[in-house]
Amino acid sequence: MKITIENKEAHFLVRIADTSVILGQRLAEMCSKGPMLEEDIALSNFGLDLFGRAEEMYKIISNLDGAKFTPDDYVFRRNEREYYNLKLVEQPNEDFAWVIARQFLHDIYAREIFTQLSNASNPDLAGLSQKVLKEIRYSLMHSKDWMNRLGLGTDESNVRTQKALDHLMKYVDEMFAFDELDKTYLADPEKLKTTWFKEVDEVLLESNLKRNPFPPLTMRDFRDGFHSEHMGHLLSIMQFLPRAYPDAKW
Amino acid sequence: MESGDKVWEVFVQKKAGLPFKHVGNVHGYDKKMALQNARDLYTRRSEGRELWVVPADAIVAVPLDEAEAFFDPADDKVYRHPTFYNIPDSVGHM
Repeated sequence: MKITIENKEAHFLVRIADTSVILGQRLAEMCSKGPMLEEDIALSNFGLDLFGRAEEMYKIISNLDGAKFTPDDYVFRRNEREYYNLKLVEQPNEDFAWVIARQFLHDIYAREIFTQLSNASNPDLAGLSQKVLKEIRYSLMHSKDWMNRLGLGTDESNVRTQKALDHLMKYVDEMFAFDELDKTYLADPEKLKTTWFKEVDEVLLESNLKRNPFPPLTMRDFRDGFHSEHMGHLLSIMQFLPRAYPDAKW
Repeated sequence: MESGDKVWEVFVQKKAGLPFKHVGNVHGYDKKMALQNARDLYTRRSEGRELWVVPADAIVAVPLDEAEAFFDPADDKVYRHPTFYNIPDSVGHM
């Protein structure tokens, strides 16, 4: 089965849906590996929120594109180059600081995206956006608190969080390299960028962390289906069961 | 757990006006973390609309080895329940 996406709006939305499902998978990997029981359950729940969000997005995408595929088809039957998620969210769970920093950088981005989409002309999309904003506000409260705690905690927690940030920041530039689709379907792409940097910098400052410069990179854009080296491994685990047993039901 | 970590008792209110019910406990280094952990553990299936977290060491309990002195004397005094007189039929259910 070859999954195709023809409609322009569907093509724009699949980036957001893919970003949700891939980050959800990274959080699902944390199940039973959290630093304490309470945080373990919190991370799993954020993962479930992201899967729910992605499923509703794929339904909207499917409807825009002739209802040819189900959410499961989109998630389990596309290859790496057919995925359009941010590279940021496919970065691995090296340690708890990575999980939190990745979540924090994502949550501000997601909140701005869905704020702008909550006035979309597509009523399903506008309704979904308003609903998920509540989830994202809570997730951001959680990830922001942890950025403060880790940044201001011990020398070790500060060093580890800075290290995670230094890695993850390499995948930030592409978030704001807007193309025609972004400019068509986002109410105000430039505002997304300025708000994101302003808020990230505020939290980093109060957490005794910083945004370090890094050498120029030659990575190609997530909008064209390019990924870091981690994506194939993530998909091989996520898609193993439905690919090995195509008739399995759950 | 590491030092500094505390146990908090969690109380959930289902709806405005109803009493808060004890549901269990959570770990948390401070009030904020305790509240978020309680939210994630005890209200994820719409169990409530409001939450209290109370430091477990702020709760004063009867020491286990004194429980007999506190409670056993009431065991043979069933007459303290007002059930030893007849209620006229006209009163109905009370």
